[in-house]
Amino acid sequence: MDSRIRILVGTRKGTYVVAGDSRRRRWTVGPVAHEGSEIYHVVADPRRPGDLYAAVNSDFWGPMVQRSANWGKTWKEIATPLTPGGKDRKPEFNDSDPLSPVKRPLRNLWHIEPGPADEPETLYLGADPHLLFRTQDRGASWDPIDGINQHPKRGEWSPGAGGHCLHTILLDPRDARRMYIGMSAVGTFRTEDGGRSWTPRNKGVITPFLPEKYPETGQCVHHVAIDPADPDTFYRQDHAGMYVSHDRMDRWTRIGRPLGDDFGFCVASARAAPGRAFFVRLDGRARVTGEGHFQVHEWDDTRRRWRKLLRPDAFPGHFGVQREGIATDELDPPGIYVGTTTGQLFVSPNAGRTWQLVPFSFPGIHTVSVASPAAK
Amino acid sequence: MTAPSGARDSAGPSLEVHLDSWLREFGPRQREEVAADTVEHLLDTLESRYPRLKFKLRDETGRLRRYVRVFVDGEDVSGTTGVGTPLAGARTIDILHSIAGG
Repeated sequence: MDSRIRILVGTRKGTYVVAGDSRRRRWTVGPVAHEGSEIYHVVADPRRPGDLYAAVNSDFWGPMVQRSANWGKTWKEIATPLTPGGKDRKPEFNDSDPLSPVKRPLRNLWHIEPGPADEPETLYLGADPHLLFRTQDRGASWDPIDGINQHPKRGEWSPGAGGHCLHTILLDPRDARRMYIGMSAVGTFRTEDGGRSWTPRNKGVITPFLPEKYPETGQCVHHVAIDPADPDTFYRQDHAGMYVSHDRMDRWTRIGRPLGDDFGFCVASARAAPGRAFFVRLDGRARVTGEGHFQVHEWDDTRRRWRKLLRPDAFPGHFGVQREGIATDELDPPGIYVGTTTGQLFVSPNAGRTWQLVPFSFPGIHTVSVASPAAK
Repeated sequence: MTAPSGARDSAGPSLEVHLDSWLREFGPRQREEVAADTVEHLLDTLESRYPRLKFKLRDETGRLRRYVRVFVDGEDVSGTTGVGTPLAGARTIDILHSIAGG
């Protein structure tokens, strides 16, 4: 079995699979696919080694889900879910009702999440406008999750700059009925019943851009990571700062204050780094690394303190990193991978102790994920 | 080449349809004969013959996608009469993608 580590890179212009050696030092770029399309997410299905899924958003032909069964050598379009009410091609579409996104056509696909290990045919898909779908046949068909797609308050939900995106899907590894989602600019929600009902979970997250500072919803969550060692703990990069929750998102505590400007888009955790989270802090106005160099900040949740993982002179420049722009692998020590909007791919094979650039200039990177062999 | 008829193929005049090279990934690789009385009818018929075309030319609301151009006898109707354009008397349809992107 081919057990090489692979970085899956989704860019403004296609999908790149980057294979590494066992030391995570040498990287080979290719195969490349979906040339010309915006790739918002590419993910490996850990239950079927070699299976990859891509959220392909074509400016010309619209959104589509594609699957590869051979590590990205070839891809095939599979079913793409439709907006509720759209199947008959004559939905109750209403131009004058911009706050009724359920009546809008399916726009971009944002995130594909493989389901639990004991449901090998199940995957989840998050899309714009604020839509969540589940397949139980590996993408041959998609069922809408009406608890979100028909949520009684969705008419109040606003978009972020990227649209009405449902971009974060997290599963509790202990209980398949418990899931979490993140939407811009709505916030985080939790279900305890497999998706039938959802409750907002944003307590403690400020909304400086709204008149009400701590509303139930309206937060512009950018991304959330679950702590693999403690699935009750979550790390959140919000438009309004960096947060942690230790109680399944019941309450959030801001941790980014010591950093000053704690804006950013991405956050990741790693199986071999329990109690730690990795953030790329950006200047809140320029939306690039504001210190004049590439930097990753590590949050130590046990000691409750921050640490910078790079020297200031390592990679000078102003780098943008988007919400899916950071990933970790399953190895020990964990690898950390960061893709930038200007096409650099940074790799640390040792939890941030040393860093290198993959020697290839990619198109602007939307998403980085890792297909990783398990730690030995 | 004429493919098997769709449900409403018998209605309207017979038209010669050309797709550009990008669209041939999803639809007919050569010119296609289609009988249709409107652009919407024509697209319905094409999609029934080539299911991968569905939602590539139009979104779920039935609107032409932003960068899809439909020419009826050389005239671009995408931004005017759109999918409701009648095809009585028309002979050729070109479906192209517009020059866009960067």
